[in-house]
Amino acid sequence: MNKRLYLELENCIGCRSCLAACTQCGGHDERNRNYVYDVNPLVNTQTMPLMCLHCVNPACARSCPAQAIQIHETGAVLSALVEKCIGCQNCTIACPYGIPKFDTEQNLMYKCDLCIDRSKDGIPPMCASVCPTNTLQWLTDEEIERKQKQFNVKNDKWVTSIHLENETNVRVNLPGILQGITKLY
Amino acid sequence: MQMDNFKNPRDHFFKEVENLNHPNEELVKTHCSYCAMQCGMYLRVNTKTNKIIGVEPRYDWPVTLGKMCPKGVTAYQQVNHQDRILRPLIRDDQSLKGTKEGFREASWEEAYDLIVKKFKGLQENYGKDSLSVYGGVSMTNEKCYLTGKFARVGLQTRYIDYNGRYCMSSAAGGLNRSLGVDRGSTIPWTDIHETDCLFIAGSNTAECHPTSMFRIWAVQERGGYLIIADPRETPIARRADVHLDLRPGTDLALANGILHLLIKNGHVDEEFVKNHTNGFEEMKQVVEEFTPELTSEITGVAKEKIIRAAELYGKAPNAIVLFARGIEQQIKGVDNVSAYVNMSLVTGNIGRPKAGVATITGQGNGQGGREHGQKADALPGYRKIANPEHVKYVSSVWGIEPEEMPKEGVSAYEMFGLMEQKTIRGLYLLCSNPAVSSPNLNYVHQQLKNLDFMVCVDFYLSESAEFADVVLPTTTWAEDEGTTTNVEGRTIKINQAQKPLGESKPDWQIQVELSERLGRGKYFSHLKTARDINDEFRLASKGGYADYYGATWEKIDKQDGVFWPCKDEKDPGTPHMFLDKKFYHPDGKAKLFALPYRPSAEEPDQEYPLRLTTGRVVYHYLSGNQTRRIKFLRDMCPDPFVEVHPETAAKYNISHEESVRLFSRRGEAIYKVKITEAIRKDTVFVPYSWGHEQSINLLTIGALDPISRMPEFKACAAQIEKIDMKKVK
Repeated sequence: MNKRLYLELENCIGCRSCLAACTQCGGHDERNRNYVYDVNPLVNTQTMPLMCLHCVNPACARSCPAQAIQIHETGAVLSALVEKCIGCQNCTIACPYGIPKFDTEQNLMYKCDLCIDRSKDGIPPMCASVCPTNTLQWLTDEEIERKQKQFNVKNDKWVTSIHLENETNVRVNLPGILQGITKLY
Repeated sequence: MQMDNFKNPRDHFFKEVENLNHPNEELVKTHCSYCAMQCGMYLRVNTKTNKIIGVEPRYDWPVTLGKMCPKGVTAYQQVNHQDRILRPLIRDDQSLKGTKEGFREASWEEAYDLIVKKFKGLQENYGKDSLSVYGGVSMTNEKCYLTGKFARVGLQTRYIDYNGRYCMSSAAGGLNRSLGVDRGSTIPWTDIHETDCLFIAGSNTAECHPTSMFRIWAVQERGGYLIIADPRETPIARRADVHLDLRPGTDLALANGILHLLIKNGHVDEEFVKNHTNGFEEMKQVVEEFTPELTSEITGVAKEKIIRAAELYGKAPNAIVLFARGIEQQIKGVDNVSAYVNMSLVTGNIGRPKAGVATITGQGNGQGGREHGQKADALPGYRKIANPEHVKYVSSVWGIEPEEMPKEGVSAYEMFGLMEQKTIRGLYLLCSNPAVSSPNLNYVHQQLKNLDFMVCVDFYLSESAEFADVVLPTTTWAEDEGTTTNVEGRTIKINQAQKPLGESKPDWQIQVELSERLGRGKYFSHLKTARDINDEFRLASKGGYADYYGATWEKIDKQDGVFWPCKDEKDPGTPHMFLDKKFYHPDGKAKLFALPYRPSAEEPDQEYPLRLTTGRVVYHYLSGNQTRRIKFLRDMCPDPFVEVHPETAAKYNISHEESVRLFSRRGEAIYKVKITEAIRKDTVFVPYSWGHEQSINLLTIGALDPISRMPEFKACAAQIEKIDMKKVK
């Protein structure tokens, strides 16, 4: 069953367990590949993760002159191939979310590959496995659909769960998951 | 309940997920080394080198389902860390005490000989009680049990206490006197997301127990309510339906104010109160004066918020009250606990699924470690030294005469007082770092220096080890096996993933070998494995409140843990407490306590106008002796800081990231300012997981709760001073 990374941004507590776990997947050279931002650091404790969204037509791969960024059959946009990457950093500039990181010593781009060793067999990526708050989840399309209904998207105030820059394999629930909730009493 | 089919409940979060198995690796099933969430994890072990090389989520653990905080993810990095102590260390030059200097490596035999000579010498000259043991509860039940026996039978001293005195003792005191028993949680954690209202007081849950958070958020996703009482807008308070942003140290007034409104609004479950509690009228009289106006005046919380919180809690079909160190680390910690338990008792929100009360235990084995005889006044199974019947039973298990059982000792912080008076002259310290975690550190450091002889058992050279004459290398949690009891009261199994590094030995083995050399071998020599100790400790707990007799390692494995009490082979354990509405007082009723408000030991004044409160950050655990050495965690939070509200900062003319001097009547330290609106204007906050000149406990106060002897870490008075850079060289 196809599963996707699914994000509920406002659950984030900023523990950065996803970053710690990213170093632990076995295929990541112990370097983390995502980001957690303090949204308003001098004001409150709001944080948010910035994960690769695994675009269907990814700007990083499109901008690569060396075809170093492959797209796995699951849709995961992989890290640059060591033997092909020429270190031009086009991808790091092209990505509208600033996801690809660059290792100057190795002259190599590296990015989230959805822990492809795991996710190709349906095992959740490390970040979604450990996330203590369910900000990051690994769900089937049916589960995501249920989530969208549950959170009452497209209320008359705003629309959650839209695609962002273009079609992505990751689904994001924009803030507002509690807006449509009917209180129990 | 039929034992054969019993399995502790799995809930809708549970998913069957296969683990990733790398070639030449074995996955060893265990739990995290840190807090009482005791998150399930697998350690990845290279089968060729027998070395732990990583972590894999344990999706099938019903409490945490593979989830881990950043400490848990990186916990394995402690094991083969370059800072591990691999051989015993001896320091001959006593003048170097309090520094890292002067240690030389020695053999175990030389270290043992020196300890035996010094311990025997002190006891011959100054009596048996001149020695003391200071333990900790980041150890297995087996080790905690044996540490109690080691002190009382091996060393024959009355002076043993442990770091839970700084952590869980107020919760224990409050739960015992209100409910007659101290099982930290009356419900399994798998109930939390199903309740309708969560009232959480004094817990920065998102940072201190992160893997509870998915269940807590789920309460809101179901349409339930989240009420948070905390001086700071912590990540959990940020999303609360009501955030009661009280002044540190005023929790008792807040709880009384809520009780006042529960009574006034008719939210009292009168049947329940009549049939299952005592003391309602007296309690009612005390809370009578705690109108929203008075409560607001004392706590600084807006009246409307207090009214709203009481209404939401009172109307809830099912409600759970959770609390933690925020309400417990005060001179009225026990009263605070009883006051919050009062709330659940008057509304009948206890003794059924989805409703109850729990303290969110801090240390990994904070629950089990306080039940089996490490506490100054306690014997295994939550028995009391003051009770002759209890002494008789435990003596019979230990093979000593009841008259040989040492009397009650004193609490952790009070032991430093006895060191000052030279009543205590020798110390055997294990699994704790009181040179960072104690309040009023300038005083504590002086007393540690003042000791005639000190042994520290640890796997890293902690700040406390710097005061020792002998340091013995022990193992990390992953190099030994045994049981711990998690936040729920569920006994679980820790497994060995790697052989002890270097010459390190598990604590229990060190205590057995030392006892043999002290001529007490006949009480210890039969304990050759952790399993042997488990067999003896379950027997020692048999018949006590915390009865583990039936919680065998096999049963733990088979049913995903065993909740105590578990009295025999057939008993599957007790996930929910008080389902029969029988509390553990002799008449079967719970006690409602009438608790007049009293201020903190040190209220702010003109000279020290700010309230100082302390706590943790998500990246560090307790004194930081472990987590400050882990690169990822250190990178994320390398240094402590002082949180200041922007208006307060403006008053002092200090800015974000500026270094300031923070001081109290007892000490001072320099911190970088972290400006945030998520704190009260009258309060500053500093995390406590750092040592030496970075320790906030240089400033905190050694005032103790009269019942639990818990120091008031959470509220003292302090002042900030801008550093004049012209004067700094």
